[in-house]
Amino acid sequence: MLNMNNISRIYRSDTIQTHALRDFNLQVNAGEFVAVTGPSGSGKSTFLNVAGLLDSFDEGSYELDGVNIQGLGDDELSRLRNEKIGFIFQNYNLIPDFTLFDNIDMPLRYRSFNAAERKRRISNALEQVGLASRSNYLPSQLSGGQQQRVAIARALAGEPKILLADEPTGNLDSLMARQVMELLHTLNEAGSTIIMVTHDPDQARAIGRNVQVIDGQITDHSVYAPVNNNAPIEVKA
Amino acid sequence: MEMFNYYFKLSIRNLIRNRLFFILMISTLAVGVGVFLANIAIIKSMSSDPIPYKSKNIFNVSLNIWPNDTPDAELIEIMRYDDAMHLLKNNIATHTMVHYQSQVYTRDIDSTNLTRHQAVVRATTPGFFPLTDAPFAFGGSWQQDRAKQIVIGDTLNQQIFGGGNSVGKTLEIDGKPFEIVGVLKPWELKPLFYHAEDGQKFTTTDDIYAPIETAMDNEWVVNVRSSATERSDSVSDNRGKNVFFIQTFVQLDNQQQKNAMQQYIDNYSQHRQQQGEYLRANDNRLLDVNQWLKHKEVVDERMLAFALATSLFLAVCIFNASSLLLARYHSARFETGLRRAVGARMKDVFYQGLVESVLVGVCCAILALLFGWIFLQISITLFPALEHTSDIDAPLIIIGIGIALVTSFISMLYPLIRSCRTPLSTTLK
Repeated sequence: MLNMNNISRIYRSDTIQTHALRDFNLQVNAGEFVAVTGPSGSGKSTFLNVAGLLDSFDEGSYELDGVNIQGLGDDELSRLRNEKIGFIFQNYNLIPDFTLFDNIDMPLRYRSFNAAERKRRISNALEQVGLASRSNYLPSQLSGGQQQRVAIARALAGEPKILLADEPTGNLDSLMARQVMELLHTLNEAGSTIIMVTHDPDQARAIGRNVQVIDGQITDHSVYAPVNNNAPIEVKA
Repeated sequence: MEMFNYYFKLSIRNLIRNRLFFILMISTLAVGVGVFLANIAIIKSMSSDPIPYKSKNIFNVSLNIWPNDTPDAELIEIMRYDDAMHLLKNNIATHTMVHYQSQVYTRDIDSTNLTRHQAVVRATTPGFFPLTDAPFAFGGSWQQDRAKQIVIGDTLNQQIFGGGNSVGKTLEIDGKPFEIVGVLKPWELKPLFYHAEDGQKFTTTDDIYAPIETAMDNEWVVNVRSSATERSDSVSDNRGKNVFFIQTFVQLDNQQQKNAMQQYIDNYSQHRQQQGEYLRANDNRLLDVNQWLKHKEVVDERMLAFALATSLFLAVCIFNASSLLLARYHSARFETGLRRAVGARMKDVFYQGLVESVLVGVCCAILALLFGWIFLQISITLFPALEHTSDIDAPLIIIGIGIALVTSFISMLYPLIRSCRTPLSTTLK
């Protein structure tokens, strides 16, 4: 599904070069749920931006669902973002004066779906996140957890190959965070591939596969047993 | 079309959500376009071709007839009575007319109302009507050189007779009766090419058209720029004297006619020179209507300077509107970034911006036309000579809408480019 080999991302200013990612290697198979952890400034978000085609990379190769990303133009990258990737942001990134329906409709507008198909997908997505009855609400009329579920519904409506979540529970209290995590686990069990950046070690341990990033490189790669068993069963360097 | 509708709805939403901002931005552009439009309206009317379908066939005749040798003197467009009559006698031109302008007071001779109306008179020859294509509503021209007959314009006909067929009625001018043999339809020439001087170039057409011999016999005052090298005691006394006050126009429909006419006036000039009258170098000219209007500097150079100033003002307005939009796009970069993140291509963002610019442009165009009309009225107040001439007609409305749309798009272009080039990863943080 996702195959990164020796990816480097360097940010340059007049005097300083910062290696946000260096020789970054990661393969994620379809149906996996991967947690990416690491301290602030370690390169987690840069990885997610590169993986989500929101940022470019300087060296290495990257294939997403069999498509080599290198050299693609804006049209192709935009199409891949639209069709293959679903984004879930920490701060939800909902447009405040759009209804839930219109927020979820936004990515679908850039595909050639007719109105009936868009409506069907939006209804299904809202159904999946338990907000089917609130399609005409504004985001401000919902709690933080509900808003994040709307963001997840927006990501799901396009039926993407992979979900990229950037600290999706970072702005939520523990109860709402648990509800959102349960939803993500349910989606993963239903077959969705998910990569989630998180600061929360408990959340990471509850996810099948952990990747720790420090200084732009993967330093620890752990695969855990079933969700509620915290004992590591395999460790790769 | 579906995406256009979607973007149109988004644009309406943006305009409502940021209405104060857009009112400011649209007003800024509309003021610039409005001032520009008003200026174009004035220049357009000044520089328009008054008789486009035959302007290349109508020529002003200028003779080097000044009796003294003043080589640096400007071209003289007025001539003596004798010269004008001589030109009338040739059979080269399709139509020939000579004229001078006068002014009289007149009333309906049969009316009990003794109020007299001031009227501008064109003392001319029957050739005036076919040469200028003056449109007759009733009747036609006089046939006799000294007939006490006149043709009146629509405005005077409305003022005195309340309109209608006034042929056969009589006007009293200076106590004498003059029979009306023709009434013109409403008629305008912009500019009034046959009298493009004396501050008359943007006035309306005349009230009364009378035989030049009749006008001179009745001492109707010469109300145009004139020159003389000898004393003349009255208008009728101008005949046979070096008094220059008549202008001549001819209609020459082909090159042969033009060559023949040029040869004719050169021969005439030489003949006069041999008689010791015309001492200046040969410089007889035939200027067609547009050459003539250019020679008379109908488009005021101050207006051209003002046009440049309004163009720069429009550029400043575009720059200001663009600066405002840059600030708005900066504040809206989250939404743009989000749209890009979920699959909008750069061209989609541009398309959305284009639709918004069209909507802004339409609002701007409506306001600009209103501002343009107001500025034009102010200009007419400041320059009364422009009254009855300059207006924002259908082609100018189309031009105004076009300029508003283009300026709106130009204003949005740079902010849109900036918006699209902002890294996605930073806008969504």
